Amino acid sequence: MTNPTTKSRRHFEDLQIGETVALGPITISKADILAFATEFDPLPFHLDEKAARESLLGGLAASGWQTGALSLRMLADRFLSTIASMGSLGFTDLKWKRPLMKDDTLSGTASITALRRSSTHPDMGIVTIAFDMRNQNDQQVMTLNLANLVEIRDPSIGGSR
Amino acid sequence: MTRWFEEIELSTIYDLGSHTFTEAEIIRFATLYDPQYFHTDPDAARHSHFGGLVASGWHTVSVGHRLMVDRLTAEEDIVRTEGSEPGVAGPSPGVNRMNFSAPVRPGDTVRFTLSVTNKRKSNSIPGWGLLFNLIEAHNQHGNLVYSADLVSFSKLRDFRPTLRLRAAMALSRFPVFNKLMVRK
Repeated sequence: MTNPTTKSRRHFEDLQIGETVALGPITISKADILAFATEFDPLPFHLDEKAARESLLGGLAASGWQTGALSLRMLADRFLSTIASMGSLGFTDLKWKRPLMKDDTLSGTASITALRRSSTHPDMGIVTIAFDMRNQNDQQVMTLNLANLVEIRDPSIGGSR
Repeated sequence: MTRWFEEIELSTIYDLGSHTFTEAEIIRFATLYDPQYFHTDPDAARHSHFGGLVASGWHTVSVGHRLMVDRLTAEEDIVRTEGSEPGVAGPSPGVNRMNFSAPVRPGDTVRFTLSVTNKRKSNSIPGWGLLFNLIEAHNQHGNLVYSADLVSFSKLRDFRPTLRLRAAMALSRFPVFNKLMVRK
């Protein structure tokens, strides 16, 4: 039953509301934007600088899905790989507030805003993580609330949270 | 989709096509963007509650988005071939909810659909409307693996800006974008 990958990691019982990890920074190049957009979001305003200037975005900008993917990578590196993560249930309130433009630097924070035990799986807890991603001018680029499953070390010990 | 805002019918279900996820691409995507062991290491993943390798939810989402863009582009071409000007899809301000209901495993074939559940004119950007889209993805067994409420901008066909608004827009060409995207 023991999971060798996660047994020595922090479990649900070890997490606290208010914990915050710093994410990034990472600077996004034109090549990065084109590589992601070519595979997953081949719209003119993510692929072509002239089309981008004439679009609502006003210049070459990363796909919003790329901003999310980069943020997720930061969370995996700094947090999810240090806890007994069981994968994501989903998220709410993803807002792309500003585009991530060519040569922008993305960084931010991820904070635990809620912890509760699964009502259907006694060995699983759910951690809610709020992302606040910003550019180099401290302007918000993206926010979202991620719900992630975490192993409970000892399900026999009841907890109401 | 590629219709004008005014012509978009609610609740029509558009088939966006399907994609079969291979183990190699699941590992490649996750190595770049979601390097958790159950997305990148088939041996370690066997000990997880998934019982094996599964795709990152963000991978499923990204593939679905690609299929949607392909469908849009193909429809635009058809509309142009018919001698009409297609509607204009704009960027998305966000996703209200996204659920990963079941894992996507290597070899799974996932079919994506899109429907517009509601629409209204934008309060913040003249000349544009907001579409409330429901995206769903089912695997080859018919099980829902992912669903999302995605909001997107769509240009109004019948918009006639007032002289005052045209002047204001000309004066603030670049800030138009900021006003557009910045949501308090």
